[in-house]
Amino acid sequence: MANVDRVKRQLLRDLVQENVDLVEGRLPRTLRKGRYWPLAVRLLAVAVLSVALLGSSRLIALWLIPQQTEPPHAATARSPRVPAKVAAVSLPETPLLTSAPQPVDAAVFPLAVHTVVIDAGHGGGSTGTRTPQGTLEKDLTLDIAQRLQRLLVQQSFQVVMTRDADRDVSLKERGALANRIGADIFVSIHLNWIENRRSGGLETYYMGPTDDPYLTRLAASENRESGYSLADMRRLLDRIYAGVRQEKSRKLAETVQGALFQSLGKLSPEIQSRGVKTAPFIVLLTTDMPAILAEVSSLSNEEEARLLTKPLYRQYIAEALAKGIRAYAGGAEETTPEAVAAARNTAARKESR
Amino acid sequence: MSEKKEVLHVGIDLGTSRSSISASNGQRHVIESYVGWPLDMVAKRVLKKPVLIGREALENRSMLDLHRPLEEGLIKDGSEKDEAAVRELLRHLLGLVGVDPDNRNGMPVRAVVGVPAEALRVNKQQVRKALQNAVDNLLIVSEPFAVAYGIEALLHTMIIDSGAGTTDFCVMNGRLPTEEDQRTLPQAGDFIDEALMRLIRGRYPEAKFSIHMVREWKEAGSFVGPPKNPVVVTAPVNGKPTQLDISQEMRQACESILPPMVESMLDLLSRVQPEFQEKVRNNIVLSGGTGLIRGLGPRLEAELQVVGGGKVRVVKDPIFVGSDGGLAIAIDAPDSDWERLSA
Repeated sequence: MANVDRVKRQLLRDLVQENVDLVEGRLPRTLRKGRYWPLAVRLLAVAVLSVALLGSSRLIALWLIPQQTEPPHAATARSPRVPAKVAAVSLPETPLLTSAPQPVDAAVFPLAVHTVVIDAGHGGGSTGTRTPQGTLEKDLTLDIAQRLQRLLVQQSFQVVMTRDADRDVSLKERGALANRIGADIFVSIHLNWIENRRSGGLETYYMGPTDDPYLTRLAASENRESGYSLADMRRLLDRIYAGVRQEKSRKLAETVQGALFQSLGKLSPEIQSRGVKTAPFIVLLTTDMPAILAEVSSLSNEEEARLLTKPLYRQYIAEALAKGIRAYAGGAEETTPEAVAAARNTAARKESR
Repeated sequence: MSEKKEVLHVGIDLGTSRSSISASNGQRHVIESYVGWPLDMVAKRVLKKPVLIGREALENRSMLDLHRPLEEGLIKDGSEKDEAAVRELLRHLLGLVGVDPDNRNGMPVRAVVGVPAEALRVNKQQVRKALQNAVDNLLIVSEPFAVAYGIEALLHTMIIDSGAGTTDFCVMNGRLPTEEDQRTLPQAGDFIDEALMRLIRGRYPEAKFSIHMVREWKEAGSFVGPPKNPVVVTAPVNGKPTQLDISQEMRQACESILPPMVESMLDLLSRVQPEFQEKVRNNIVLSGGTGLIRGLGPRLEAELQVVGGGKVRVVKDPIFVGSDGGLAIAIDAPDSDWERLSA
């Protein structure tokens, strides 16, 4: 080893570790969250920390400096927001944390969504659908999920995977994990199997009831082995349908579906948008945050199954999902309204056939 | 270093079209990635072998259940026959450098196998499974990384490794490349073969030829840009050997991979840290069989003008550069690391 330089030694160490990870079924270190953060991300982290510290000092100042007690109506009046004593410490004029609640423009907080749980559908003994050639849904969803993870980490999201290897994770555990860590959104990745094998395409679900027999069957199939009784299901349904979370989930589903259709349509002009739908999938019902289940292509469709074996196509899917999540998180219309409308129209045309 | 002499190190480039092996005993071999089993008892008696590999398999294909098991550089998912074919291919390669995979009482063997940059983890596991018990220790690397290591282009370099199944791009920046540093395109040699086949069929509908003939024509006369000499091939037309000028079709087929190649090259360059972009632009290495297309390097250089110009060089020994790189890794990896990687 004496004649092997330092760079080579480091490369070999990393390479061996990557292989050991592969043998032991772990995600390679180079792909794990928090490793190899780009300089820009590190600088951003320093900046965010500085802002946070500054914010704390302001809060401390607000707590320590006695403030005028005003009658209740004064809080909503258009009087100067900064009390005289606070203004005296010459802080820049910004809205106070203690001022009356006001509607906040989501665009002000481009990363209002911090923690994303990515759920690679199936795994272990649950293989999901498969092509006649033997390509398994569980392998493809994991690959797409890992690609999405890398993209989102690059964009400074906190990402947690429900599984990062080929292993069994119950539907109950998936939702529980997201709730336990207080995730902001939950994205479950699946591949479709449509009985009419000539049709295929993309569809995104959010929680809600369905009277479509196909979707009832699909949900029953996906919910198998969930461990929930019928009574549990009813309780879950009652808890959810009236909630504001459903509306947020719908918005997330529409944004992601639009991004998927816009992006994959470039690669495969034949691809159809089957639209945004509601269905009572367990992973959507048990999560406490906006949650969607995206069927990112169909393994039953010969052309889409062929494309899914290509790394480039799976990368496109991951990038489209990331784009949709980013657009939802930022409230920015990165997915154009036209794309969302086109996705809806294609779905409507399909349903009218 | 003395203990290293007791071990045989090998580097293997497992390719869609060709697979090569380089060993520390000085042997190097390349074979075509074909595996065939006799179709019936008659074929078995004629061929006198239970399985045929490489050119021998290709030449006797009419009597064989012929497999080219690596599509886009990956073991075809779910096909037991293709998994078996990869196992045969790897064992045959090891046999060529003096390793008997069925009798592992000899010298310990440490192998480094190159796979496409974006190989699915499941495929890496399949390669590992295929070499189980055939070698003592196994390390799997991405092909462009093996190339970069072999030619010591480890810093501020872009490797474009274009074979039959995939074109792999990899930016080397002194650390193990992550997926962000790499791209894999399905547009490579096979893509050109299929395009060429379609184009020639369109122009000469009466001519009879196979994809294997088209592949050989391409290997002899591929080019991009203005033709230097006309490309003329011979194929039967109504049973009579006839000369066909396929210059235009050859150019069109070869140039069909340029748009995605250029797009990926420029995209990956734009993601390099700004202060190093110029260095990387001037240090682009083209390897793999498809990298041998005449005029490809200069054409990529011309495309780089849009971002300030750059230099593209073709490696000297594209057939063995991947397996030689694998061998270099195998020799350099310390014993303590190898011990963690039992096959």
